[in-house]
This record gives sequence, C-alpha cells and structure tokens, in this order.
Amino acid sequence: MNSLLRVEDLKTCFYTDAGMVKAVDGISYDLQEGETMGLVGESGCGKSVSALSILRLIPYPPGKITGGKVVFEGKDLLNISEEEIRDVRGNRIAMIFQEPMTSLNPVLTIGLQIGEALEIHRGLNKKETRDEVLRLLRMVGIPDPERRIDDYPHQFSGGMRQRVMIAMALSCSPKLLIADEPTTAVDVTIQAQLLETIKDLTSRLGTAVILITHNLGVVARHVNRMAVMYAGRIIESGPATEVYEHPRHPYTVGLLASVPRLDKPRVGRLVPIDGQPPDLIRLPPGCSFFPRCSHRMQQCSMERPELRIVGAGHLAACLKDLGS
Amino acid sequence: MEEIIDKAEKPKWSQTREVFNRLSKRITAMIGLVIVLIFLVSAIFAPFLAPYDPLEHSLGHMLAKPSWDYPLGRDELGRCILSRVIYGARISLLIGTMVISIGVLLGAPLGIISAYYGGKVDFIIQRFVDTMLAFPGILLALTLIAMLGVGLANVMIAVGISTIPIYARLARSSVLAIKSRQFVEASRSIGASNFKIILRHLLPNSLSPIIVQSTLHMATAILWAAGLGFLGLGINPPTPEWGAMLNGGRLYIRVAYHVATFPGLMIFITVLGFNLLGDGLRDALDPRLKT
Amino acid sequence: MTPGPLFLIFMTGQYIIRRLLIMLPVLLGVSLIIFIMVRIIPGDPSMVMAGPHATKDQVEQIRTQLGLDRHPVTQYFIFIGNLFRGDLGTSTRTSLPVTREIMARLPNTLLLALASILIATVLGVLTGIIAGVKQNSKFDYLSMLVALFGLSMPVFWLGLMLMLLFSIHLGWLPAVGAESFKHLILPAITLGANSMAIIARMTRSSMLEVIRLDYIRTARAKGLKEKLVISRHALKNALIPVVTVIGLQTGTLLGGAVLTEIVFAWPGVGRLLVEAILARDYPVVQGVVLLVATMFIFVNLVVDILYAYLDPRIRYQ
Repeated sequence: MNSLLRVEDLKTCFYTDAGMVKAVDGISYDLQEGETMGLVGESGCGKSVSALSILRLIPYPPGKITGGKVVFEGKDLLNISEEEIRDVRGNRIAMIFQEPMTSLNPVLTIGLQIGEALEIHRGLNKKETRDEVLRLLRMVGIPDPERRIDDYPHQFSGGMRQRVMIAMALSCSPKLLIADEPTTAVDVTIQAQLLETIKDLTSRLGTAVILITHNLGVVARHVNRMAVMYAGRIIESGPATEVYEHPRHPYTVGLLASVPRLDKPRVGRLVPIDGQPPDLIRLPPGCSFFPRCSHRMQQCSMERPELRIVGAGHLAACLKDLGS
Repeated sequence: MEEIIDKAEKPKWSQTREVFNRLSKRITAMIGLVIVLIFLVSAIFAPFLAPYDPLEHSLGHMLAKPSWDYPLGRDELGRCILSRVIYGARISLLIGTMVISIGVLLGAPLGIISAYYGGKVDFIIQRFVDTMLAFPGILLALTLIAMLGVGLANVMIAVGISTIPIYARLARSSVLAIKSRQFVEASRSIGASNFKIILRHLLPNSLSPIIVQSTLHMATAILWAAGLGFLGLGINPPTPEWGAMLNGGRLYIRVAYHVATFPGLMIFITVLGFNLLGDGLRDALDPRLKT
Repeated sequence: MTPGPLFLIFMTGQYIIRRLLIMLPVLLGVSLIIFIMVRIIPGDPSMVMAGPHATKDQVEQIRTQLGLDRHPVTQYFIFIGNLFRGDLGTSTRTSLPVTREIMARLPNTLLLALASILIATVLGVLTGIIAGVKQNSKFDYLSMLVALFGLSMPVFWLGLMLMLLFSIHLGWLPAVGAESFKHLILPAITLGANSMAIIARMTRSSMLEVIRLDYIRTARAKGLKEKLVISRHALKNALIPVVTVIGLQTGTLLGGAVLTEIVFAWPGVGRLLVEAILARDYPVVQGVVLLVATMFIFVNLVVDILYAYLDPRIRYQ
C-alpha cells in the first residue's frame, strides 16, 4: 500500500554567522493514512525544523532545505511549484504551532482567521464560511460560538486559543495534521484534554497526525508510532508501546528515565542525561550521542550507526544491542 | 531588556571592545564616526585650522566666489567662509554639549524620581513632562527665546530645557525596567536596600540608551540651534554660527549662492555624522541575535 | 466578521473619555506656562503687553483689561475667561485683534501642513513597506540611505537648495508667496521631507518586526499567497506604531512650518510668530503658541483614537 507521506533522507541547514547548522541531517520515515506518529526529542534536535520542511516553511535566509524527498500523495513536495505547495498548505496538510498567543493574529477576529483557509481552498462565500466556522467551533468544544466567533485572540484562554488553532487547521479536513508541541505552552491540567480532543477529531476525520513533543510522558497514549530524534537524525522508531516498554537506544533509555511517568509507579529518582546537546555546526564523526552515552564503545566514535531492525517494526541506530 | 541587565555583570573593558568590534563592521557607522571626529577636531583646534580671522571683514571683496585663497568664498561682508565654518563648528559643539548636559542633568533625575516613587509623584511629574511635550518640535524653544531674549546663552538654555522631557522619559523607563525585575526577584523588602540596588544597576544599564540618545540628540540640538540662528533669534551678529550664516546669505542667493550653501552643507554633514554614529551605536549596543 | 458598529463606538467611547481626562491637566499646564510666560519677562507686564509704542493711557487700559493689578490667580481666571470668549488680546504692532491676525493666516499654515503630512505619509509608508518586504535589496539600501539624508538636512537649507534648483536655476516653480497651487509644491516637499524620512524608517522597521512573528508563519501555513499575507496580516499590525509616529510628526511639522514659511515667504502663522517675537509683540506670540500647542494636543488625541481602532487589545482595556 502506498504511504500517505514518505520522507526520504530530508536535510535542512541554517547558515549563520557562526557557521552552517545541520538542523536536520537525513531523516526518513513513512506515514500511512490515518496513522498517528509521535516525534520526540530535546529542544534543538531538529523535530520542528523537519516538520516545517515538509511544508516548505523554512525562511530562506538563513535556512535552506538541502536534500531529500518528501513524497505526499504521489508528489515530491520539495520539487513542486510555489503555487502547488500553497494548495497543499492548510488544505491537504495542516499545521498547528506551539504558542497559540503569538501564532494567532491579534488584530483579526478568530472567526476570520479560522475561515481563511475555507475562503481560499474551498471558495466559500461569507455566509457559508461563517456557518462552517460556527460548526468548527462547536466541534472543538468552544462554548457560545455565536458570540465568540467575533472575538479576538487575546480574549481567550491558552487552552481555548489552542482549540481555535485546531479548528483552523482542521477546517479543510486535511489528510495530515502536524502538531508542533501543541501542549507545551498550556496548563498541565488542560494538556490531557487538548490531546484527547486532537485524537478524537483526527480519528473521526481519518486524519494522520505527526505529534511533535519533547515530553515523552505525553506521547505514548495518543500515538500509534513513535520516532525519537537526536542531533538532527532519527535514532529510534517503532510502535509506540514497543519503544516505550523496550527502548533500544541509550538516548531513549535516558529520556525515559529522566521524565516522570504517569503510567508506572514511582521508582526512585529521576536520572537526567549527562552532558549537553551537541553543537550542530561541528558534529563529531561517529555517533552523535557518543559523549553522553553510558554504553559507549570505542567503535561508536568512529562509525555512524545506521538504523537497523531490532524488533517488529522497531528500528534503532545503535551499534550495541540493548535487547533486554 | 533582561539581557542588558545581565550584561552589566560582565567586565567593562571586554564589553567596550565587543561593542567597538560590532560598530566597526558597519561602514555607515564608521563614516559617521569619522565625520564626528572631524567635527570635534575642527571645533577644538579652530584657531589652528582656520586660514583667516573669521571676524575680519573686507568690504572690497563681498560675496567673492570660491578661489584657491578662499576655498569656500567670502560672505556678504567679505569674511572668509571657510574660517567661519570652522569656528562655527566650535559654536555648535558648545551649544550641543550644553544642551545635552542640561537635558541629562535636569531630566534624568526627574525621570528617576518619577519612576522610583511612583504613584502620585509619578503622575504629577508625568503630566508635567506631557505638558512640555505638548509644544511640538522647536516651538518650546521658540517660546522660551521669546521670554528670555536672544543670545547664545539663551539659545542653549531654551533648547536645553526642551530636551529635558526626553531624558526624563528615558530615565524613567530604565528605572521601571529594573524595578519590575527586582520585585520579581523577591529578595529585599527594605526600602533603603531597594534604592541601592536600583542605583547600582541603573548606571551601567541606562548608560547605553543614554549614550545612544545623546549622540542622536547632538544632531537634533545642532539642527534646532541652527534653526533659531536662521530665524535671527540666536547668536549676536559677528559670531559665526552656521544657522545665522545661512540667514545672512539668504538674501544673496541669486547672485552668490555659495554664501548660504556651504554653512548649510556643514550642518547637514555634521548632523548626518551624528545620526550615522548614533544609529550604529544603537545597533551595536543592542543585544540582538543575528542568525 | 468585525464587531458591530455600535459596540465599537461604545467600547472606543470609554477609551476616548479616559484619554480626554488625561488631556485636561496637560491643557491646563500649557495655559499656565503661557500665562506665566508673559509675566516673567523683565519689566512691567502692562507695558510688555501694550507694546513699545503705547501711550500711557493705553498701558493703563491694558492693565485693567488683563487685570494685571489684581491677584495672580484672578488674573489667570481672567485670562482663561478671555480665551473662552475668543479674545486673545491685541497686537502691539498692528493694533488689530490677535484672533483676527491669526485667523487670516491659519488656513495657509493648515494647507501647508496638510499637504506636507500627506506627501510624507503616503510616500513614507509606501517606501517603508517595500523596503521592509524586500529587505536588503537595492531598493532597501538606497531608500534608507536617502531617508537618513532627509532626516539630517536642516529644513531651511533644503528649502533654499530646492528653491535654488527649481526656482532660480530651472525656473519651473515659483519661489515665494502663496498665490497658486504651484506655490505650494516646494514648501510642501521641503516641510514633508524630514517627516517622510522618519515615517519611512519607522514603517520599515515595524514591517520587519512583524514579518518575523509567529502569526505570519501561521498565515503562510494556511496556504495564503504572500501578497495576502502582507496586506491582510502584516500591514495592519505593522502600521499601528506608525500611526503614533505620524501623529508626532504632525507636531514636528507645525514646528518646522515656522522655518519653511520664512524661507518661502509663505503667509502663515509660523511667519507671524517669528515676526512677533522679533518685534516683541507678546500678545501675538502668546496667541500663536497657545493655538499651536492646543492643536497638537488634539492631534495626539485623534492619533490615540486611531490607535484604539487599529489595535483591539487596547480597546478592551
């Protein structure tokens, strides 16, 4: 079966005064229709950049997509015209961002902002758009939509604003939703609700989801698959529960040990990972996790481990076999 | 603002060097610096640089066109324009420095008091500042001149007083920025300590905006003083002030345009220099991220 | 999908009332300063206000008229009372009512100011937008350099140079006076140049700031054409701080008008003011300064209201 989205060896760089930053250094993955994938990693590991690259939203100075393919519905998004990619954005692939306050235009009503994609991609008139926006507001659970549709973003709470973003993204029933850290800027109590909403709506619409987060604790319950990124590369991927229960890359192990888990009883103290994330301008040869890895071997600093199969649908980029 | 406050902890010398490095990268800022230096040199060393006595008239050579002997020509009383322009730099420097001194020395404390005490004191002082700012542009200076009469000292006072509200506002916002941060720290609660903290952080942090503002304000001060001079409200006659020189040459513009053109050109270049330098300083001192 | 007009007026109305309340002490302060101004001048205030050519009787008349022999506070109330009746005193030079002198010239200054601010705003904003959208292009570098030049040029020198070139040398435009529309061109450009430079720079930097913000990325992520992103999303936000600058510039313009009017012999209140100062015609000086300051305060009020209209966040405070 043809996948909905196939990313092949995607590479994106940023040209800065200090040098060229390899934000995304060759990642590849497949996503099927309706499938949900969690993309996990520390701040700065390249997960957001990889998502923005799919829609070609990387600002040209200073960033540039330098290689790879992103095949969506049969077309390589990196190779189509400006007009064609605009057709995809907000329509076939939609994105929601981390900070709902700054991601919404403060001087335009939310009604207008939600309806924009409908206006452009579906060619609806004012009345039709308004009706549809009201329906969307009800769908995402915003109370009193008739009144709220003409309100401005600053009149909503953080959680509500994020729901507005969701309504905006799902307005044209996209095939793929990319959610870039949707719960990070929101209260802990609201986080679970939001994720439930996203999961519920996308499964109803049959929308595939890429859920980007640095918080492992959040991901597992809401996604089918999981991919862990480090220093611009995917170092482990597989079914969510599998990766969760049986992590095979030392970094994943470290991540899981350093984050509080609501699904397991408290076992001793949290163990942070030693060291600092690597300098993406001067990546060392060999495994980029080498300096911080407690399982490292001499060989690891010399050759860069490729992803290899360590279980059913489960890949890890490590020379050592942590099977346990 | 936060970064500026943190930056204050770094040693001064390396900070200055860093700033100068950033400054030297921009050509326009360096050109501004050169112009300002030339201006300063002209002003300070005027007696050594001017080829002739700026006050010496020669009625036989009125409005003489520029020549090898008199590179900028002679004015309506036969005086050497080049010499007068060089001495004019001195006058402008004097006016500019006095204006900024008055502005900073009277305006900054006002702003500091206003921000420190807050409440009613703040409200009253702010309305007072608003009132001064209600006189647009040169109008306040004009009004003061009308009251005080013409003359060099009065020009400095008038333009100087007009600058007070700007420095008051600047000082006030600097203190407010520090004040809010301090209360977030939740460390001290005793009034006296707070004052010391604010003072200790105030100087290094407001230094940058004051330097930038003063450089840019030199430009404005010179412009306004020249404006007053042009209107005949400035300096007493033989003194070579650029604006007044322009006024003198205005009548002869059809036959001898050089008399009005060159002093004006000097004002333009000098003001441009300060603006370029001020802009450059603002960019160099502002901890912006360049990615 | 914008809020109903009545609601809008109501919310903004509250905001306007608050701004008006802040305005009152400032108006008071301005009137006080002007009131004090005349009385500070060395010499007998009555003689000051009556002028150097007045007879003893006239001086006495002024003294009673302005209540200069009464208590200062009473004097102030007389002063304010006169103001409300439209009585600004009598010119010591022409013996005509100050109000009449001003009204004869005010329309000319307003015309000049309007033409200048129009040129400055339209050209300035357009230049700033293009420079901002096409950052680091040739247009950007060039226009910002020209703007810097425009900022640094003394308005009276620019006026003289333009006059030199277009009037004297080329003979295309008239130099002095205000008879025809052609006469307006040079003064308006001269006066507008400075403001145009400032507005252009402000618009550009505002545009640059806004374009980098997250909601612009959201707009692009929805598939909007770049032109729509700029015009619908970026512009309104970017113009908000520019509106404030335009308001301030109108003020600077009123000040710069003085110099421009002298250069081009434009018969406006600016020229009147300078003549009055030189001739120690204090009633006229008082009248003009009061008028200009008050106009400026109201211009700022209008700017504040406009600001509230453009930025809904302010409206609901």
